[in-house]
Amino acid sequence: MTPTHTRAALPVLAALLLAGPTAAQQTDARLERLDAATRSTVAALVDSARSALLPTEPLVQRALEGATKRASGEAIVAAVRRLAVDLGHARDALGSTASPAELTAGAAALRAGASPTILAELRHARREPLTVPLAVLADLVASGVPVDSAAAAVLGLAARARDADLVEFRRAVERDIALGAPPAAATAAAATAADVFVNAGARQQRPGRP
Amino acid sequence: MTSLFVVRALAAQTTGTVDLGISTVRYDGFLPSAAGSLSPALTWERPGAVVTTRGTYLRFESGRRSLQGLIAASLFTPPSLLPHRWRGELSLSVGGSDYADFASFWHATGEARLHYVGTDRGAWIGGTGGRTSYGSAPRPVAVAGVGLWARRAQVTVTASATRSFVGDTAYSDVGATIHATRGRFAVDGSLAARLSSRGGGHGVYGEASTTYTLGERTALLVSSGRYPTDPVSGSVAGRYLSVGLRLRTPLPRPRAIRDPPLPSRSLVSGDGGGSADVTARLEVKPAPDGAVRLVVYAPAAATVELAADFTDWQPVALQPTREGAWESVQHIPGGVHRVNLRIDGGRWTAPAGTTRASDEFGGEVGIVAVP
Repeated sequence: MTPTHTRAALPVLAALLLAGPTAAQQTDARLERLDAATRSTVAALVDSARSALLPTEPLVQRALEGATKRASGEAIVAAVRRLAVDLGHARDALGSTASPAELTAGAAALRAGASPTILAELRHARREPLTVPLAVLADLVASGVPVDSAAAAVLGLAARARDADLVEFRRAVERDIALGAPPAAATAAAATAADVFVNAGARQQRPGRP
Repeated sequence: MTSLFVVRALAAQTTGTVDLGISTVRYDGFLPSAAGSLSPALTWERPGAVVTTRGTYLRFESGRRSLQGLIAASLFTPPSLLPHRWRGELSLSVGGSDYADFASFWHATGEARLHYVGTDRGAWIGGTGGRTSYGSAPRPVAVAGVGLWARRAQVTVTASATRSFVGDTAYSDVGATIHATRGRFAVDGSLAARLSSRGGGHGVYGEASTTYTLGERTALLVSSGRYPTDPVSGSVAGRYLSVGLRLRTPLPRPRAIRDPPLPSRSLVSGDGGGSADVTARLEVKPAPDGAVRLVVYAPAAATVELAADFTDWQPVALQPTREGAWESVQHIPGGVHRVNLRIDGGRWTAPAGTTRASDEFGGEVGIVAVP
């Protein structure tokens, strides 16, 4: 994270980290599924996020997910707090005009290992919504593709590719990884669709030729 | 709390292989001979750059030996430098070979290529320059070439033509290759002809090889064919049949798993008793009115429930279909969504067909992107 991003995120981070079990202004009725102490803290986190103009629905959903999975209150609060911080970082990188879907996808990409700089470059490279490119980026990294390789591929495609093209690109990478290709090579191959031409000086070698 | 920086992946990847093989080979002008081979290779790659080094040690039945080595690197232009779908590539190759202490070659060449890269087809044009030596003063190398390729599903076909000048030797090669994969098999084939040759030989050449993946780190290789003299690298024309074993370094370990195996026998046979460590495949299909049809393939399940951020994490019971699948139609906004399945009241699991990731609650969650 760059110093600029860090400075921009500090107020959000402070609010989220300091948020405690205080009386929330308007507790979401869906949070009734949480125990009282957890509900109070989560509601405070949601209020802090709302004050910071971050989307709150993903936070509520993360808490509900924990409740459905019978997670401890401590685990639920930690997960919600982490997501709120990630959303703040995503907003700093993607800009204040980013949609809630973009911020959610951006938070997932950050959690996967992408840097805020990559998110900012993606915003600069593409005028259309970034939800799918960010999802593809997070997916590739989660599949073992190095962050730089995944980012280079998605950035290279993002400027002109349609969402459907990006989804097809992701499928091609998955297929090649499943067939045994190293994730970075699979990504480069799918991005150029020309794996047979990579590394010109070294390609002429038939396996087993003496 | 897991730090963002702890989970960050490496920027470059290195993969290595070692091929162990036995061959019968007949070089032009020599008697047939059996040979054992050891061929290590190492590839380092990162966005826009690839470096490959490899070597071959051959031990012939006569007791003589041959050594070959090569290091090659390619640099690619960044996507923003050239117009959309165009990429530049600059590669350098340095290699040498030594046969039985009396024949030694070396070469150093550089190649520039301009690629047109379509979605499933493309073309390139390139030129090579450099020097090569065979126990005498180095000779200049110049090669001009063009190529086409097309890729459909798991089959890639190429065609190329080159004109080469090595000192006072000149020749043209035209040829085609095919690379296909199916399951654990990968098949490569090539057919080429050398034409308009002055000192480089004539003829038609072809090679075929099959790789059968045994496991993550092992594969069997079978290859055969006839190849022409290469005046640049110093290899002599010959025909061969080889069988070998390939060992490779572990692949970079994914932190999340996509497409885990389909339901195990216990689930399919219905005796899973609510076991939840097996999971079923989820497919997301468009439905009328902008809705989405969620289809789960779990023919032996008694109940299938789905919970996701688009259901407020309330379990939704899926309805069985005639085909043995289970389905539910939902209105899901575009974006990245988290989803879990529960079969026969077992644990919540990440469905196959999604990217599985840690859910931060001690389990896994499936991630799906809905455009």
